Amino acid sequence: MRKEQIIDKEAICLLISFIIGSTLIVGVSGSSKNDAWLSSITGFVMAVPVLLIYSRILTLYPQKDLFDILTLVIGKIAGKFVTVVYTLYAFHLGSLVLRNFGEFMNSFAMPETPMIIPLVAMGMVCIIAARLGVEVLGRTTTYFLPGIFLILLIVQLLALPQLHINYLKPVLGNGITPVLKDGYSAFAFPFAETVVFMGVFDALKTPKSPKKVYFLGVVIAAAIITITTVRNIAVLGNMLGSFYFPSYEAVSRISIGNVIERIEITVSFVFVFGVFVKTSVCMMVAGKGIEKLLNLKSYRSIIIQIGVLMILFAQIIYDNIMQMRLWAFKVYPYYAFPMQVILPVIIWIIAEIKNRKIRKMYSNADQKAEDQQ
Amino acid sequence: MVTEMLALTVLLYFLLFIFDIKPLYKKKLWADFWVNVTLTGISFTVAVLLCLKVKIPSPELPICELITSIFGK
Repeated sequence: MRKEQIIDKEAICLLISFIIGSTLIVGVSGSSKNDAWLSSITGFVMAVPVLLIYSRILTLYPQKDLFDILTLVIGKIAGKFVTVVYTLYAFHLGSLVLRNFGEFMNSFAMPETPMIIPLVAMGMVCIIAARLGVEVLGRTTTYFLPGIFLILLIVQLLALPQLHINYLKPVLGNGITPVLKDGYSAFAFPFAETVVFMGVFDALKTPKSPKKVYFLGVVIAAAIITITTVRNIAVLGNMLGSFYFPSYEAVSRISIGNVIERIEITVSFVFVFGVFVKTSVCMMVAGKGIEKLLNLKSYRSIIIQIGVLMILFAQIIYDNIMQMRLWAFKVYPYYAFPMQVILPVIIWIIAEIKNRKIRKMYSNADQKAEDQQ
Repeated sequence: MVTEMLALTVLLYFLLFIFDIKPLYKKKLWADFWVNVTLTGISFTVAVLLCLKVKIPSPELPICELITSIFGK
């Protein structure tokens, strides 16, 4: 079967949609109040070293995905064990994102509809996308993303009359600790979640480009998140932390001449698209993990069942929306730390050592061949 | 209501069986077939339990308790 390939532009678009997806609507953690925009920048700065590690691992093993790399680097048995960990992580992350979407639909868009209905509807689209593969998903995102940017830009401009820039002051009024805490939360959700992309970036056409892709994607996404957070603070002020979906609240206050009103549907559109991309990628990675773990022919033959399980898991994972927020901002950063930082660092160190050994061996062999000549 | 939900679930899984699992059996992809059957079994069980309004324990609570016990609230 022909190997799927995506160009850098498609990969960057995928990364941007993946990162801005749920964060734009759920927002960054609200404990730093009017310094939340600083915490999103802090989160990005914290994420830079891990992004370098992810891209370095991918550059060391071009055209190989995370699960192949695991087997090559840490051996068959340990590799299988870590594959299970990453598969479960991707599966769990996909369910969490689906649940975010379900809670959003249940609390704002369709309060009287049971949550399983939007979950099934979204889940089905994601299953189809994951089954079609990363190439199709990449192209779809490339076509949709300019529209998303346009929507974001127009909404920002329309929100201008509602902005109270004095809400941003005092900067660092509560000290640096809450900013750092929220920064760490922003680091884990969404920046370091891009570790999941190591499972699909074997499809990159140019083997030396992961660093460029990772950086451009994350920088653009971080800029969008920061600008949106500034807007949310300037519209909502200190109340930012008291809303479940701050972007939705901020945009719902836009009213221009009593004509342009109720444009929060635009926020939903961006959110739906982000959730679609994020869940599809997670589904695909979970499928690939099981494929490599059990030596299947293709992840496509089991993707429907993984999707169905994800939907069911999303249904049972939380009891209510407060639990969801507690989990997303307080528990998730610690839960995800091993998968986002510890394991990649270990893999990177072992990969570097192995690579150096191999290079040394080759250079010694070349030397010997030259001496013989 | 519960009966209708159950009937719908069984119907959906029957369709899944015909369009998703049967082709794997015909192509003799045994590994894919057995993994698919296992996953279908798990998801069918969970779906039926959800239809019967059984409360399924979420793994989120123990993880949450573990992390708060280590790092504090």
